[in-house]
Amino acid sequence: MRRAAPILATAALFLLPLAFMDARTYVTLTVAGLAMGMLIFLVAAGLTLIFGLMDVLNFAHGAVFSWGAYVGFSVALLLNQRWGWAAAPSVPLNVLLLAASILAAMVVAVGLGILLERVIVRPVYGRHMFQILITLGATIVIEELIRMIWGPNDQVMPVPLTFQGSWDVADVIVLRFPVVAIVLGVLVYLGITLLLTRTRVGLIVRAGVENGEMIQVLGHNIYRYFTRVFAAGSALAALGGVMWAMFSQSVRPAMGGEQLIFAFIVVIIGGLGSVTGSLLGALIVGLSYNYVAFLVPKAAIGINMAIMVLILLLRPTGLFGAGK
Amino acid sequence: MSSDRLTPVQLARQAERGRRFRQPAPYLRLACLVLAALVPLVVPSFQVLDLAAKIAIFAALVASYDVVLGYTGIVSFGHAMFFGFGAYAVALSLGKFGAPTYAHLAAGFLAGVALSATIAVLIGAFSLRVKAIFFAMITLAFAEFALILAVQLTHITGGEDGLSPKLPGIFAVSYEGGRLLGIPVTGRLVTYYFILAICLALFLVMARFIHSPLGRTLQAIRDNELRAEALGFRTFVFQIASSSFGSVVATVLGGCYVMWVRYANPESVLGIHVMLDLLLMVIIGGIGTLYGGIIGATFLLTAQTLLPHLRTVAASVFAGSMIMQRMTERWLLYFGILFILMVFFFPKGVIGTVRDALARRAPSPVSSPPHPASPLRGEEKR
Repeated sequence: MRRAAPILATAALFLLPLAFMDARTYVTLTVAGLAMGMLIFLVAAGLTLIFGLMDVLNFAHGAVFSWGAYVGFSVALLLNQRWGWAAAPSVPLNVLLLAASILAAMVVAVGLGILLERVIVRPVYGRHMFQILITLGATIVIEELIRMIWGPNDQVMPVPLTFQGSWDVADVIVLRFPVVAIVLGVLVYLGITLLLTRTRVGLIVRAGVENGEMIQVLGHNIYRYFTRVFAAGSALAALGGVMWAMFSQSVRPAMGGEQLIFAFIVVIIGGLGSVTGSLLGALIVGLSYNYVAFLVPKAAIGINMAIMVLILLLRPTGLFGAGK
Repeated sequence: MSSDRLTPVQLARQAERGRRFRQPAPYLRLACLVLAALVPLVVPSFQVLDLAAKIAIFAALVASYDVVLGYTGIVSFGHAMFFGFGAYAVALSLGKFGAPTYAHLAAGFLAGVALSATIAVLIGAFSLRVKAIFFAMITLAFAEFALILAVQLTHITGGEDGLSPKLPGIFAVSYEGGRLLGIPVTGRLVTYYFILAICLALFLVMARFIHSPLGRTLQAIRDNELRAEALGFRTFVFQIASSSFGSVVATVLGGCYVMWVRYANPESVLGIHVMLDLLLMVIIGGIGTLYGGIIGATFLLTAQTLLPHLRTVAASVFAGSMIMQRMTERWLLYFGILFILMVFFFPKGVIGTVRDALARRAPSPVSSPPHPASPLRGEEKR
């Protein structure tokens, strides 16, 4: 029952705005909110795993997100200019473009993640203040590199034709790309959950979150798992970056920093170290942001802060926090 | 209190008091102050005066951040927000209620301080009660929120354009107070000395704060939170006290900043760049040194003043190459690299490193208390 309580509360939150708007608007907003939530979840999942396993608060996560977006942007631009894959009215080519962008972004992010973990984070394990400062320093450098390579201004992200526009389902306008984002988010969540609960690596990672020292005593080199989780978390952030760039149809060097704030709120709401908590937190943040942005536009950011404060008051360790 | 019944703490204090004026540090601080006071008399350039005033303000701001970061060991990303609260409170009070008077100025400062104290206690109560690491995330979120509010509430804050308040009486630009020692007394000059006096006063208050029993408790919490808790201190109350104190000092300095630049907009007083500058300054000067801010602020602000000149030079040298131009434009990148290198190799900053070097060269014969541990040293696992 205690585990179900947060889910029930979220469900109630889903339905509350129906009282203030007509059903069609509600569905449109819900789809947008779910998509936004799923994209934030991609960022928050990596953040929460990295924190849960290694006790590292990674402020550079947002910068990796931006890098992913820019790498994806470059690939998409290249493919579109060379062969017109985004503009072509062909579903396979469009999907291929999205897949290629995501793949490139994730590969780069894995490299970046390993580099970050080895060079920046490893020397300061176990020292929180150091970690926060050093990853912040890394953020400055990584973000400035983006500005140096791609220039400081906003750029337009090419969106494949298939994912533009909307479907008309029983008089309700459903934008296409958000649906793609939701599907992808669900797949990623299922993937992470299966990996964590059904594989040996997942078992060790979960045990490491629970008690890292014990895992070392049992003969597993936990640092290897640290690096892998860091790389995987970075890849998820990059995936989020590409998806967000298509969602908002633009890339900006500072986009990662803004997403990181949302991700922090989500991680706090969901509980540090819990993937399911992050998903729930992300959906809460995405949905409430969209509902409130429609009803009271200026209060949109405020509502997330309010929810975070409320949850901290009721459950100081977050919805699914381990409470350690 | 008879001399044979002294506690170890009192003995240590006595030894410290005896050494106080035999070390170079107090004289160096005095020299900084005299230098700052002489600037308008010696150099008639406004640019230099402007730089000196900003250095004074930021040195004190960095010191107030150091109280939270270096002496209490909690990472806050909301310090610039409190600076911004002070700036906006004073700017609003002077600009929105008719002709500015001294009462408006004082009310602005008071309102800012009251607001900051309230919010700092609230944020602390939400986050420090759980885990100090939440503080970094929550303050960052709040700072972003404050920035968005300042941009969006255009009818109050002026949005992106910001506010340009006029100052009352002797602080006004138009004020002419004749000549003193051959120097024309202008509103600028009066404001400069007013700000310098406030910064000095704040430095004294902060030095008193960290050397008080409360300050010592904070350092104990920083070094070993579990042990401090076991000794019966309610650590989170002390942490809230420290972060609120630092925030209030930052608020006063925000007011001073607006008095000097006569302008407040979201980017200049609330933006993430203010926070980044602050972090760089505190790292360069030295965490947990209080006076490191003077060095950090002098270095960074001077560099930032000179950089545009450097850039025009670089632009003419590398006229052909786009990537070289971009590389010179992105000076923040080099500050970022400097920041990382400082954290890795000189985590105690300039002052801390110099102090360590001095302590190694001349080991004190008196059984002096061990040097305060680096705030960045061991932090017990959760």
